[in-house]
Amino acid sequence: MTYLVTDDSKLARLSLIKSLKTCEEDAEIFQAENGEVALEILKKEAIDIVFLDLTMPVMDGYTTLPLLIETKENIKVIIVSADVQEQAKLKVLKLGAIKHVQKPISPEKMKNILEALQ
Amino acid sequence: MSKLTLTEDEQDALQELMNVAYGDATAVVAEMLDAFATLSIPNIRIIETSTLLEELKGLKGESYFFSTQAFNGMFSGESAFFINEESANNLAKHLECKTTEDLDDAILELTNILTSTLTTRLAKEMNTEIKFSLPSISKLPHGEIRTNKTLQDYTQVIVIDTEINFEDQKINGEIFILTKDGSIKWLKNQLNSILEALM
Repeated sequence: MTYLVTDDSKLARLSLIKSLKTCEEDAEIFQAENGEVALEILKKEAIDIVFLDLTMPVMDGYTTLPLLIETKENIKVIIVSADVQEQAKLKVLKLGAIKHVQKPISPEKMKNILEALQ
Repeated sequence: MSKLTLTEDEQDALQELMNVAYGDATAVVAEMLDAFATLSIPNIRIIETSTLLEELKGLKGESYFFSTQAFNGMFSGESAFFINEESANNLAKHLECKTTEDLDDAILELTNILTSTLTTRLAKEMNTEIKFSLPSISKLPHGEIRTNKTLQDYTQVIVIDTEINFEDQKINGEIFILTKDGSIKWLKNQLNSILEALM
């Protein structure tokens, strides 16, 4: 599978990638530090799943999410956010995300996410 | 006193841990107020207290409710929450507070929940535990913020500054986490351990 990890924090990206690699050693992973960069990568690469943060500079997750789906209709977007308010969760699901997950994602949590996708 | 600084990676790591902690705290307060808050990216700096006091001159309200809560452990310091009078009055309206005592009580409870959830989660992310003192509150005219004793107890501080904003209710406040040299050094070590584990 090919993944795109979008988060403005290097720590958050490294942490998520480490969990992802624990579950899927040969995963192909792209990184973006904001929504604008994520959209550029999505246009060029055959991405299957996007992990998307909500609070980011330049273009945040709420703005990016519908644009990702508009760019590639069958893309699976998983929101990975510190914002665990019920309204935030409902909002992103309504915008088309398939899941909202609280940061950080441990290898165990990642395993459950990937299994649920199969 | 030597000037401590955070490297780019340390700053990024602390910002991310703070973001996670702030998310938890916001969710708890949002539930308490039955409202939705927007999250902002935390601003993190190590500065001289005199610089912070200068910056506080820039606050816009006439007067502020200023509440603080000390925390102790390997990571110790004080969290401070500023809410201006207009926001405090909107909070009073939202919670149907009838007296000044009711409002003070509501702000103290808000501070307690917000700062304790925030610092507890931040400590957890850094693999340590902290203990809290009771929060205290004071109402300060704008001109007196700089003479506040809490802030003057610090010389060089790490300022983690973020805004909590309930747009619909027109309630917003600023949170500062203040720590001294010993904790800043400990914090730098912890951040580097976390980063090394990921490399």
